Amino acid sequence: MTESHDHDHESFDGGGDADVEEGRLFGVLAEYDTPGELVEAARRVRDAGYTDFDCYSPFPVHGIDDAMGIKRTILPALVFGGGVTGTVGGLLLQWWCNAYNWPWNISGKPTWSIPANVPIAFEATILLAVFTTFFGMWILNRLPQVWHPFFRNERFNHATDDAFLLGIEARDRRFDPVATKKLLVDAGAISVDNVHLDPDPTAHHMPKWITAFIVASTAFALIPFAIAAKARTSHSAEPHIHIFPDMDFQPKYKSDQAMDLFEDGRENRGELSGTIARGSLNADDLFYRGLENGQWTVNFPKQVELNEQTIRRGKNRFEIYCTPCHGFDGRGMGAVPTRVAAGGGAWQARNLVDASNPVAIDMPNGQLFNTISNGYNTMMGYAAQIPFADRWAIVLYVRALQRSQNASLEDIPTDHRSDMQMPEAPSK
Amino acid sequence: MSALTKSLHPDEKYKAGKIGQSLTKIGAGIAVVFLAISVVLGATHGDHWKRFLYSYVIGWSYIFSICVGVFWLVLLHHLVRGRWATVVRRVAEAMSMAFPIVFVAGLVFVIPLVAGYTDLYYWAHPDAAKCLVPAATGCHEYLNPTLVHKLGWLSPGFFAVRYVVYGVLYTAMAAYFHKKSREQDDSGDPNISEKLRVASGPAMIVYALITCLVAFDVLMSMAPKWYSTIYGVSFWGSACVGAFAALGLVVLGIQRTGRLTHSVNPEHYHDIGKWMFAFTFFWAYTAFSQFMLQWYGNMPEETVWYKYRLFGDWQWVSIAILVGFWAFPFVFLMSRWTKRIVPSLVFFAVWQLVFHWLDLYWNVMPSYDWLRAEHDGATLVSGPLTGATALHHVGFSPLDVTVWIGLIGVLLVGFGRNLRGNLIPVKDPTLGMSLAHENL
Repeated sequence: MTESHDHDHESFDGGGDADVEEGRLFGVLAEYDTPGELVEAARRVRDAGYTDFDCYSPFPVHGIDDAMGIKRTILPALVFGGGVTGTVGGLLLQWWCNAYNWPWNISGKPTWSIPANVPIAFEATILLAVFTTFFGMWILNRLPQVWHPFFRNERFNHATDDAFLLGIEARDRRFDPVATKKLLVDAGAISVDNVHLDPDPTAHHMPKWITAFIVASTAFALIPFAIAAKARTSHSAEPHIHIFPDMDFQPKYKSDQAMDLFEDGRENRGELSGTIARGSLNADDLFYRGLENGQWTVNFPKQVELNEQTIRRGKNRFEIYCTPCHGFDGRGMGAVPTRVAAGGGAWQARNLVDASNPVAIDMPNGQLFNTISNGYNTMMGYAAQIPFADRWAIVLYVRALQRSQNASLEDIPTDHRSDMQMPEAPSK
Repeated sequence: MSALTKSLHPDEKYKAGKIGQSLTKIGAGIAVVFLAISVVLGATHGDHWKRFLYSYVIGWSYIFSICVGVFWLVLLHHLVRGRWATVVRRVAEAMSMAFPIVFVAGLVFVIPLVAGYTDLYYWAHPDAAKCLVPAATGCHEYLNPTLVHKLGWLSPGFFAVRYVVYGVLYTAMAAYFHKKSREQDDSGDPNISEKLRVASGPAMIVYALITCLVAFDVLMSMAPKWYSTIYGVSFWGSACVGAFAALGLVVLGIQRTGRLTHSVNPEHYHDIGKWMFAFTFFWAYTAFSQFMLQWYGNMPEETVWYKYRLFGDWQWVSIAILVGFWAFPFVFLMSRWTKRIVPSLVFFAVWQLVFHWLDLYWNVMPSYDWLRAEHDGATLVSGPLTGATALHHVGFSPLDVTVWIGLIGVLLVGFGRNLRGNLIPVKDPTLGMSLAHENL
């Protein structure tokens, strides 16, 4: 550039190369031996009235903020705001989803309930507080800073290793090429260097190919979002794109598929006529079908022991398979009809114990058994889930339920009638 | 001038002198006066000492929890080679040496239990194991179906044996860390620090186990039919809130006598405050974890504990704890300045010490009302947390407070006896870093 640039080199600086073309003076960089000396130097520089300076050390130095006169960061207040936003946002999200936009009855629980929302609100609080901390720190520190004029000084490479550096920029209104250096040396600097900008102004800008790469990769990263956005608003007859096919498509037949090999064009093969599978004979009409001389039986087959243990087994199975619709008391208002009612519908299962409309009470045992096995109206058959003996146990339990739900005080043994009374008030 | 380490100020008064004896005298005075009042109130309460013993269990848990919390600080700082706490570690060691006195004081409720007192813990009551239907067909329906299988663990004899084991283990561990630390004052041997660091690992494991078990045995078995596996952790969180508050106040009290004035500064109070803040949240986190899983699961054997705390009179105490022990201190202790300005820290320390007591009160007292029920003509005691919630009242008694203050006197005796010699570990290798400690 000009001839007048680097006469100040000679006074302190042994490291500069006078033959190299140098640009404008950016500032001076001083190195100190220990963190303690750095803190002391920072204090002196601050006391001398400098503002455009900074310290560089391999690790956080206690007390450096105070020595440099740096105000406490406002980051904690920002993080608090982020956290509160997370709490409120988390609660609003759950309210909007669960209670407002799509209220859904789950086992009769309220759609909006604060205790259930605490975990999500808590996680949202943490998430936003952490994001504010992380990105707030970057923004407040004006990071990322990919290049700085001090990088041109070779000593600066040690700032992440073993050097304690203090740099004053030439734009500081108190900056003087001689007096500033003297101040730094008096504070105990082991070296003070001038740092110049590159004479080529283009060196101060990011290379064009990096900019181009960032723009291109950002645009490229948006493509999946664009595809997703298009798919949201259009229809397609094409099958899904299988990026990872795994073993989804295999050369084999599944049940009920069409097939040319057999005459009937079906892949399924039924039982051969005139044969029966081992263990499936089930010749006993009474036990397996509830029939006696072709009529529904009013008795129980001899395989079923009529005792309390069987009733308990029946209760256990009834409460697994039957209560969702028929309810624990057999009156037909289980969880499913309850939900139907909550949705405004009016369907309920058969009342098994209703003495005023005793359909189920009057049914013969065999017909109850058959209903459990093969279903009735909209009720499906449970032959596949419940073994024969358990079906009979359920019939027995339904009989007990019908009796107990229509019981009077006379049905209770005299010595147990006092159990029906309410417990007494507390004693202290 | 900032530095990574400092040496002890030449004018520092770090000898305990007479403050230990003074504290012991003050504590003994408080203990004698308030426990005497409590005995009179307890004898005239007309319930065969039941209220007195309930209040005593709360008060004992309180002083025990302070020791548990400060001893944790000692263990932790050896375990992680902590630095900031070295200047207050000797005080914490001396405070944790109150364990033997605390465990002797607890004999007041353990001895009656072993001697056959049945009104304190329901599991010690003969009706706890009774059948609901003493029918000729055999006894398969119990009055307390979820309690009968716990009665092997919850029996007075085994309880007393465990109590002694806990006392011996705590005392032995606290004494070891205290004794070795004082040995280093004389010899200056840095290997002692290394030995204590090695010992602190196993000690921490033993400490964690027995702290949980004490919480299960002494506090949780007040509602013996209930289940919660996180209970011990939650108790420990509450204990540490109280312990760091107490540590801050004790150190400040020592400074008021002109000692340690150069060594302990707002940086150290800031860290004590940080721990108090952290445990305030930790306690809330564990307490809410316990609540939410049981509330959502909605199973009778779990919700029974909350049923009597969320409905009826006790719901107001529950709300007071939620706001007073968590929300208010949580919001205000978040700031750097509430922890660094000493009067503010003192305010929150006292506040949390009161609410820590209320938390323990809330853990125990709802179990005080026991109901009776008629079964086959016999009147059986169905125990705590039964019957309609409207029948259960907070029923505050002056005993609750007099016993608490009396037992704090006992704790001060325990502190005072060990506040002697050096108040800081003068030859600990990390002392310099602790003295120079700064929060960034």
